[in-house]
Amino acid sequence: MAELAALPDDVARVSHELPLRANLSALDNIALIPIYQRHFGVDESNRQALHLLEQLGHAGIAALRDPDMTPAQRFITKLARAIILRRSRLIIDRPGAMLYDVPYPAFIRELAARAEMAGTWEIFDFSWNQALYQE
Amino acid sequence: MNFLAASIESLGAKVVGWFTVGYGMFAFLGRAGLLLLDRTTWNRATFDVVVKQVYFTAVQILHVFMGYTLVISWLIITIILSTARDFGLTEFASEMTIRVLVLELLPFLTALFIALRSGSAINTEVALMKVNNELDALAHCKVPPMQFEFLPRLIGGVVSVITLAGLAGLLALLMGYLSIYGVSAAGFEPYTRTIAKIFDFTIMAGLIAKCALFGLAVTLIPVTAGLETPKKLFMVPVSVLRGMMRVFFAIVAIEVVSLALKYI
Repeated sequence: MAELAALPDDVARVSHELPLRANLSALDNIALIPIYQRHFGVDESNRQALHLLEQLGHAGIAALRDPDMTPAQRFITKLARAIILRRSRLIIDRPGAMLYDVPYPAFIRELAARAEMAGTWEIFDFSWNQALYQE
Repeated sequence: MNFLAASIESLGAKVVGWFTVGYGMFAFLGRAGLLLLDRTTWNRATFDVVVKQVYFTAVQILHVFMGYTLVISWLIITIILSTARDFGLTEFASEMTIRVLVLELLPFLTALFIALRSGSAINTEVALMKVNNELDALAHCKVPPMQFEFLPRLIGGVVSVITLAGLAGLLALLMGYLSIYGVSAAGFEPYTRTIAKIFDFTIMAGLIAKCALFGLAVTLIPVTAGLETPKKLFMVPVSVLRGMMRVFFAIVAIEVVSLALKYI
């Protein structure tokens, strides 16, 4: 885990240590990034965030806040937030700590296989979970 | 001897602690002030949060607050009028009512009202954001918490206290008139003359500055107290307790300094 702490700034992380803003909806959590980083208006940022959720197949969670989401929905929102950061690397940090309600290697594989998803996602997990990824 | 040394050490630690907290607050205020002047701060998202803060702090509670102001004003005016009558000082009643209620009591009570309702909520929310790593997550996403979370709360607090104290003052002026002169236009001229005599430029500027300081105290102190919270969930109530005690002392200090400047 020391490797994670030493990760540079240009890495987008999906981690249970980086939670969503609890009083914002999934859409708002994602849309904040285009607003503050690329200076888009609220409408355009919401459109981009919704498009990303649609690409991930979960547009229905847009209005949900963190406490109302299932672990998988929360993961999708964090993943969308990381994707919209548009950083050179995307790291999923210990997915088992976030996705305890689904068989997570298959779930992540399914998300990554969506045609519109670009780039490579790196997964950092405990070595004893390696067998899960070989199924 | 050991007892004396321990006492001095403890006192010294407390004084250093107060200075550290004070420095932290003023440094935070300085950063907020600089960001206020930065053009990039004023995007739609920040503006929306400011509007939301003003709504939650002032608009949502308006009916309760006005009801509370009505009752307090009516009670104080009745007490002042009956005391003035007993001592044969009726001609000073309207001036006394305005000075006690509009200039001192209502802004003070407004600040206490906002502190108890919104200040404690802000303190708790910021402390929970700190404990739950939400601030770290925002920093990771390069969303500046100062612009998105804190500055709107400071602006919302200042705007809300000034507005609510102003509305409470207007209601008290109306109540005062009705209590002294009844439903008649006969007292309009002397009453407005008294108001004009009291509310000169210095008094108005002082009143607005006092309300703005109250607004800052009820938001800035809870935010900084929340940010000081160690990342342990059980420390959240302690953070709120400390923050609210500081808010109380700050409100009292502002009121005392304002009274001293005006009357001493």
